[in-house]
Amino acid sequence: MSGFRHGQGRLGDATLHFSFDGKPMLGRAGDTVASALLANGVEVVGRSFKYHRPRGVTSSGPEETGALVTIGAGGKADPNARATMEPLTQGLEVFSQNCFPSPKFDLMSINGLAGAVLPGSLFSAGFYYKTFMWPAALWYKFYEPSIRAAAGMGTPPKVADPDIYDRIQSFCDLAVVGGGCAGLAAALSAAQSGLRVVMFDEHNDLGGQLLNEVNNQANADLEQWRVNTIAALYAAGNVKVLTRTVCWGRFDGNTLAAHQSVDGKVRQNYHKVQAKKIIIAAGAIERPLVFGNNDKPNVMLASGARRMLNHYGIATGKMLAVFTNNDSAYQTAFDYIDAGIKVSALVDSRQYPSQELLDGCASRGISVHTQAVVTQAKGWQAVRSIEIADLAANGERVSNRRRVECDVLAHSGGWTPQVQMASHGGKPPIYDKKIAAFIVDDQAPDTYSVGAAEGENGLLVCVAQGVEAAKAACALLGKEAGPVALPPQERAGATNIVPLWSVPAKGKQWVDIQHDVTAADVVQSHQEGFVSVEHLKRYTTLGMANDQGRTSNVNALAIMAKCRGISIAQAGTTRFRAPIAPVSMGGFGGREVGQYFKPVRRTPMQEWHENAGAVFVQAGMYMRPQYYPQAGETIDDAYERETAHVRQKVGICDVTSLGKIEIVGPDAAEFLDRVYINMFSTLKVGKARYGVMLREDGIVYDDGTTSRFADDRFFMTTTTAKAGPVMAYLERCLEIDWPELKVRVSSVSERWGAMAVAGPNARATLTAAFPSVDFSNEAFPFMGVVHAEHNGAKMVLLRISFSGEMAFEVYAESEHATDIWQTIIDAGKAYDIVPYGLETLGALRIEKGHVTGAELDGRVTLGDVHMDGMASKKKWFVGKNLKDREGMVHPDRPQLVGLKSVDPRTPISTGSILVNDANASAGADKQGWVSSMTYSPELGSFIALGFLRGGKERIGQRIYAAYPVKGITVEVEVVSNHFVDPTNERVKG
Amino acid sequence: MLRINCPYCGEREHSEFTYGEDATRTTPDNDAPMEQWNTFVYERINPAGEHLEYWHHAFGCRAWLKVQRNTLTHDISWVGLPHENPQVQS
Ligand SMILES: [Zn+2]
Repeated sequence: MSGFRHGQGRLGDATLHFSFDGKPMLGRAGDTVASALLANGVEVVGRSFKYHRPRGVTSSGPEETGALVTIGAGGKADPNARATMEPLTQGLEVFSQNCFPSPKFDLMSINGLAGAVLPGSLFSAGFYYKTFMWPAALWYKFYEPSIRAAAGMGTPPKVADPDIYDRIQSFCDLAVVGGGCAGLAAALSAAQSGLRVVMFDEHNDLGGQLLNEVNNQANADLEQWRVNTIAALYAAGNVKVLTRTVCWGRFDGNTLAAHQSVDGKVRQNYHKVQAKKIIIAAGAIERPLVFGNNDKPNVMLASGARRMLNHYGIATGKMLAVFTNNDSAYQTAFDYIDAGIKVSALVDSRQYPSQELLDGCASRGISVHTQAVVTQAKGWQAVRSIEIADLAANGERVSNRRRVECDVLAHSGGWTPQVQMASHGGKPPIYDKKIAAFIVDDQAPDTYSVGAAEGENGLLVCVAQGVEAAKAACALLGKEAGPVALPPQERAGATNIVPLWSVPAKGKQWVDIQHDVTAADVVQSHQEGFVSVEHLKRYTTLGMANDQGRTSNVNALAIMAKCRGISIAQAGTTRFRAPIAPVSMGGFGGREVGQYFKPVRRTPMQEWHENAGAVFVQAGMYMRPQYYPQAGETIDDAYERETAHVRQKVGICDVTSLGKIEIVGPDAAEFLDRVYINMFSTLKVGKARYGVMLREDGIVYDDGTTSRFADDRFFMTTTTAKAGPVMAYLERCLEIDWPELKVRVSSVSERWGAMAVAGPNARATLTAAFPSVDFSNEAFPFMGVVHAEHNGAKMVLLRISFSGEMAFEVYAESEHATDIWQTIIDAGKAYDIVPYGLETLGALRIEKGHVTGAELDGRVTLGDVHMDGMASKKKWFVGKNLKDREGMVHPDRPQLVGLKSVDPRTPISTGSILVNDANASAGADKQGWVSSMTYSPELGSFIALGFLRGGKERIGQRIYAAYPVKGITVEVEVVSNHFVDPTNERVKG
Repeated sequence: MLRINCPYCGEREHSEFTYGEDATRTTPDNDAPMEQWNTFVYERINPAGEHLEYWHHAFGCRAWLKVQRNTLTHDISWVGLPHENPQVQS
């Protein structure tokens, strides 16, 4: 144990109970999980991603690389949470990750030892790519199982998340990203303009790096400035302050995306905020130095160790050592020693730190080692000492190694501005030598980067920049921002950096601590020829863990640039992509999960189907009866019975899901002539016609039946799947292509319930149901249309058939559709009527050889489905110009055929490939495919529809339907696609 | 998130709209040669910069609109009816 509760910090006194791996612990209100674990002396929090090395808390913020934990249990479990960002709550259950049986003793850590002994360890750079190139047998037997067992982070929960997530869409005049000193000042200045302001900060407490400052009497003025500024913001009615809210992406039109954690009924809110102006005050994070074992628990970023002490009241150890290449880490040493913690050494890689800092150390009795480095951290699991050495003037060698006692090492490799949000705007990050990091020059008129995010140092200048940006942004919006009181004291930032990209000494030097990538991996990837930044990242998987390379990016680029002998500016960096921090999927889903994932449409007859025991299936947006099982029936039993019954007696099927469009106007007939390949202007009132539409490129688009109700009024049906697209297409034609046509189209899909009545007894059934309608062949011939009324319900009756049986479609006003359905069922009892579902509908149309969406898949031409004769030669229509191109009419194209199993009880799988040879291998000449299949009770055989090369000429041949995935090959006979009623005797009878 | 100012409905989020197609093409005559139709159907200019497109206000008033969108910045500088055109800057 090394960390302990040492003071009050800014926390209250309330005690919170929590547990870590089941062990009860105590924390305080205001703690994060990380500070509470340190207060309980926990050093090893978990194990690393690949090598299972022990890892502990490394920071106090979003840059955390070590303390990744699972928060909560069961469905509420949130894996890979950064312990530094999770507020402690009463009763919270926290679990370590990636270790067995415990984080202190982990069996898999042998990986780390192997890595040290073998020249190329299991997970060295590029292991994914190399492993895949090795013999496949090894992959399955050894690599895959061992990688699966070894690599990984937290385990996703196996049960559904019981929590509620919300999505919130809002607007504001000004969004301020970040609630540090610059963001606070910007928001307060803008608040006085009266404009609507939203401020985001991912922490629980506002103030950014002000929270690193000690909260004591000597510093009271500064703390008061922070508290007053925050209070003023909350008091302003026009400012929305969102804490624990990570703003993770900036998108077109100044849209910001953010996830907010909240306590209560809802766990998280996903905010989409449309802002007129954005001020990016995202701050900077400290980055680590690269030296041996820099991943060891109790190696912490200096700013993180400082905030632990000053904000959370946690001493991270009993004896601190500091390693830095810039000024900022000195303050950590000063604060620790001033708080009564021993500081054993301050190791500065620079030759000449400022006299002021050296005086500060001297007055406190801190021994300073300049032009020196830490070569490695030592200790079995956590730091117990460090080895330091002098650094040669050229930076290439070390000498005079010596040992220094400490149980926590605070280090600082400089500060990295958080440029991700600025970079999302499209501008590339540019290397700034002065701060040895990348910045994005993203200023006005819509966004302003200010403060540490723009590479600035010092409290006063950051505050001033925030106010300046607020004034500029408000002025562009026609308002005046107000003044903000300056903080009472200056606070120096990260100044005077002399880069030290890696320590020239042996040992495991970690660059990306989260993803277990070492400096040696970066060098190796260069040696293997991966010279661009993008390749480096792919090959080493650097920056691909949950911190997205926040801490590792700059160090890795610098090491790579050195290998290549170029400057960091020349090497450049990759651009940043959203999300910049891990965010939950729950937020994206909002409340649209489970049954609310998408709307379900039900037909008017839904309740009737339920009462009849129907099994439902989702077809398009609709729930449709799939079949109506009787006692003990399987799905196959049921549809075979229903299919046979329709052919022998009569059946009724709900076809409400068809698209229905009314087309009205003096030019309606002309309009239909243009969109359909066949003629509709010649259609007589009271008749229906089957029609086919093409796309502009000549491919079949959709089919359906259109009836003429009056000279200027038509009623179109579309397939279920194309109901929406066809409607939009017709609107487009009228508004864009042919505005001269006087036609209106309106969707009436919901206006009408629809049912098909099919079978030899269909006419008798309907005659009994609706005695006022004359169903005789003379009065109501095939393709006839009749308007009728029954008990006050309007109906349209169409005599059309897709089953090869005499059939009628009955359209009834939706509110009366169930009554009409019931009337037909009642009248049909005498004729033995049964309801039938989608399976039987499909079986009947396959037997008849009628195509649907499975055949009209966006690849077939008219000729492919034997409809070329339908295309009118007397008029122009959409698709006419390109439908006869050479490739579209080639005789060797796959054409629609029927297929019949040679052994009638052997099914033919949909999706099978048609081949000539039973033993055809994968590379065989594919002759076509199977698009739909069914068992045909009428033929006593499995049958299918499919497309076969030159199929028109191949009737009678025997070929094979192969399904290699399942190892099935079925011998089939090629037949006409019209298995049943090829001459339309039945449908016209 | 783009916002499109529908002449009928006002400014709405782009998720209410569906993209239609390039609005700079001229439909050939019905009896134009196949080559001309082939060019019309398959060839696109794909400019980097200002571009005219058709969008459908599918979840709004269902009007088809012409939209001037910058393909580099996604800025929408003009929205009109299908047979209107933005004023050319002189
Ligand atoms: Zn509209």
